[in-house]
Amino acid sequence: MTTSRYDAIIVGGGHNGLVCAAYLARAGRKVLVLERRHVLGGAAVTEELHPGFHFSVCSYVVSLFRPKIIRDLELARHGLEMIPLESAFTPLPDGRSLCRWPDWHRTRREIAQFSARDADLYPEFGLAMGKMAYFARELIDNPAPDPASFDPRELMRLLRLGKRLRSLGPDLMHLNTQLLTMSAVDFLDLWFESEVLKAPMSVSGVIGTFLGVRSPGTAYVLLHHYMGEIDGAFRSWGLVKGGNGQLSNAVASAARASGAEIRTEAPVSRILLRNGEAEGVVLDNGDEIHAKVVVSGLDPRRTFLGLVGEANLDDAFVTRLSRFKFRGSSGKVNLAVDRLPEFACRPNDNGRADHLRGDIAIAPGIDYLETAYDEAKYGDFSRRPYINVVIPSVLDPSVAPPGKHIVSCFVQYAPYHIKEGADHWPNRREAFGDAVVDTLAEYCPGLKDTILYRQVLTPWDLEKEFGLTEGNIFHGELSPEQLLFQRPVSGWAHYRTPIARLWMCGSGTHPGGGVMGAPGMLAARAILKTNAT
Amino acid sequence: MTACDVIVIGGGHNGLVTAAALAGKGRSVLVLERHATLGGLAVGDEFHPGYTSAGPLHDTSTFASALRAELDLDAVETPPAVFTPQIPDAGPGLLLHRDPGRAAAEIGRQNAVDANRYADYRAFIDRVGGFLTGVLERPPPTPDALRSLLGPAIRLRRLGRIDMLEVLRVAPMCVADWLKEHFESELLSSTLAVPALAGTRSGPWSPGTAANLLRSEALTRSGIRGGAATLIDALARHARDRGVAIRTEATVTRLRTEGGRVVGVTLADGETIDAPIVAASCDPKHTQLELLAPATLAPRLHHRMTKVRASGAMAIVDLALSAPLRFGCRPELDVAHARVVGTIDDMERAFDATKYGRVSAEPILEVVVPTVETPSLAPPGHHVASIMTHFAPYDLDGGWTGDVADTLADTVIARLATFASDLPGSIVARRVRTPVDLETRYGVTGGHIHHVEHALDQLIVRPDPECARYATPVAGLYLCGSGAHPGGGLTGLPGMLAAETILGGS
Repeated sequence: MTTSRYDAIIVGGGHNGLVCAAYLARAGRKVLVLERRHVLGGAAVTEELHPGFHFSVCSYVVSLFRPKIIRDLELARHGLEMIPLESAFTPLPDGRSLCRWPDWHRTRREIAQFSARDADLYPEFGLAMGKMAYFARELIDNPAPDPASFDPRELMRLLRLGKRLRSLGPDLMHLNTQLLTMSAVDFLDLWFESEVLKAPMSVSGVIGTFLGVRSPGTAYVLLHHYMGEIDGAFRSWGLVKGGNGQLSNAVASAARASGAEIRTEAPVSRILLRNGEAEGVVLDNGDEIHAKVVVSGLDPRRTFLGLVGEANLDDAFVTRLSRFKFRGSSGKVNLAVDRLPEFACRPNDNGRADHLRGDIAIAPGIDYLETAYDEAKYGDFSRRPYINVVIPSVLDPSVAPPGKHIVSCFVQYAPYHIKEGADHWPNRREAFGDAVVDTLAEYCPGLKDTILYRQVLTPWDLEKEFGLTEGNIFHGELSPEQLLFQRPVSGWAHYRTPIARLWMCGSGTHPGGGVMGAPGMLAARAILKTNAT
Repeated sequence: MTACDVIVIGGGHNGLVTAAALAGKGRSVLVLERHATLGGLAVGDEFHPGYTSAGPLHDTSTFASALRAELDLDAVETPPAVFTPQIPDAGPGLLLHRDPGRAAAEIGRQNAVDANRYADYRAFIDRVGGFLTGVLERPPPTPDALRSLLGPAIRLRRLGRIDMLEVLRVAPMCVADWLKEHFESELLSSTLAVPALAGTRSGPWSPGTAANLLRSEALTRSGIRGGAATLIDALARHARDRGVAIRTEATVTRLRTEGGRVVGVTLADGETIDAPIVAASCDPKHTQLELLAPATLAPRLHHRMTKVRASGAMAIVDLALSAPLRFGCRPELDVAHARVVGTIDDMERAFDATKYGRVSAEPILEVVVPTVETPSLAPPGHHVASIMTHFAPYDLDGGWTGDVADTLADTVIARLATFASDLPGSIVARRVRTPVDLETRYGVTGGHIHHVEHALDQLIVRPDPECARYATPVAGLYLCGSGAHPGGGLTGLPGMLAAETILGGS
């Protein structure tokens, strides 16, 4: 048994754990990060699964990663380079297609094929959403306001938020209410008439969530698309050069540069408690490591029921924790292909294909998306799923051998709880992969012959391999009752836990999932503020 | 040409409440009802000689207590309970009394754990009920009037930290998740879920339906003896006693305005009536998009009103029966109100159909048998069953034809017959009313029995921020029907709150 003393131990070397570690180390704390896998990054990893092909295995794009973190940690110096996506392409089975570009005039011409009215309204919609997103950023970059608090500072903050909201004026304030309560489809119906436009827009409202595009409450996620920032440019999505793992590596490098120690293949089996306080961790190999605080980047269920143990928690907390919903709804299919895919509705032009330099949505209609959801509701994966395709090798040739490509397919819906039971997913995995490839091949007829390698990740795989409970990519659903002061459990939304000296810093805390880094940063700030370390 | 202080459009329960309240303060009030009878959605009709149906709004237990006192009504627990039948071999069904003690006892017959949890559930409802009725029985809070936000905020915080956070957590949830947190029994969860979905276009997995359930639970008290018909008679009598003039078969076709202010109405026969104030208890879309002359509303509000969701999804099958409706699982019960539900997933499947413009093959049925309490609605020994059928969308793919409606009636009868096998043999006559029929008969846009969809974005801010507090941008024109806060059902609250607003502002 070895014992050494740290100021903070971070359990889990995902991007949030690393961000938290980097901030604590920069503040002069002695920090140790413990990662179970051989590679850092959690769900933001790059792995060479097939010779020469570097896959962003799970998360594959970045938009909400906080610019403040990039500046504070000088991530550019540590190798972070972002490449903005250049288009949003929606192929249709009938040979038509829609592609939206950063250039509004060009987008307008594309949309006008389907509706001149929608083409006119599209920029206005973007402006309104941009204003709303500006407001929402305030919530992302700060701890969640607590409406039950009697702390005068907290009350002042609530008042300030209220004032800010009022300053938007009645129209935008109403829009804000609608965003929080409406379904993505109903919300878009207020503006647009063409389904070809509405379907791919609405689907961003359900990513990672077990809801359909017609489910109330899905509209607000639309905002995410107007909240992204890359290099200070508002509202854009991007790739990380070299794959999403490079972002994790850059953060790890920054943390190490500030003195943090990072160990991989060091799985934590439990959190060491004494008199109800966390005093360190026990590794799988039996090693005990002590620290002033333990910070878990794992999701709430794994943290508390896995590492702390139900016996060490009070019943009311366990009950509330058990109500926190995970139920992952998405899977991932990663393909290595020997040539650039070609869509029948918009053929490539001598190897040039501008419409493939961005995000490709297989979302040909609202009923299509809703049917996909209905199949999942009753415990099956969608036969014709929504697929978000990105071909990172088009923008970043470094991730694949020359002339060859990676096709990254984010797939919805693949419910963790299939009717046979989640543990039957291994038997259904290839059928799921086939459904995805078959669907994509309807749009890219030659695709199947070009596949060199295929990786299929079901929600069960995401749980087993990446430690995401029930395969939920956000460490718990981003539904209204699990956001802000209720994430993960009301009363424990400020990174603290009922176990003294144990903190949370993962996506299961405010402001939630996605490659944002905000939970890690806000947790570090909260820990430093208490002088616990 | 005649003149009065206030014209109330529509002689439904809300219109009558508004009229009586205004007349009580000395206003001269004229109620104009399109139909030959008063009562709007609360009344049925003689659909077969000697047999009178229940109206689409049949549940009197939500009628506001503040209004009951004035009306001198007999409050009794009617219906005493809701019965959810099971297939005879599967179990005895669930007779859910409103009284928590009796309900828990009945639930305990099947599941002891759920009996305790039901007591907890009702205790929570009771604890937060005051806060909820505080929201529902007052004009809606709005950021334009900070004081209107302060009251609910203070009452919310008075619940204490735990209940306060719980209300905030539960409201945006779906009813399936919330009920499953409490109960093991699907039968119980499904039964409780119905009021959250009835008349809406949402299924048990739709987020926000828990708010509908909270609303319904908070409003539910005891029923009124004699049912909706008695309530309407009492309201009309009360209004007339206070001097309200009521004209039936008087259809308003136009709201007349001058310089942005309402000056009166025009009737279908060309007659004009002047009044400086018009309170419209008809639905807000009809009021603002059809009764107002084009271009009266600012284009922005006009556009938003066209987008208010008010497309119904309920059909009604009325049956004239030669024998009482008896369920095989408990044949001794005389059931006045039953729910045919299936599992939560079955209910969700029933809802799914509406998304694609189809009629559910296994609809959720709310069966009302008005003759259990009022035998005179049918010949001696005979009965009437009015079956509210969810979900049958107004905007049916291919449109509503006689054949489609007949198929729906067959489906409904076959489904009910699986629980009540003697039913088909006792049917004397039947009638099916589609949402389009409801629109025609009751004048509700989209056949929506709540006038405007009950969804989080259309509650509180109802129907639109510019007319959410009864007054509209057209001076003198007020909304006083179910399309205004706090929404549909036999509550009388929109009518009451609109009247208070009118009196406060004039």
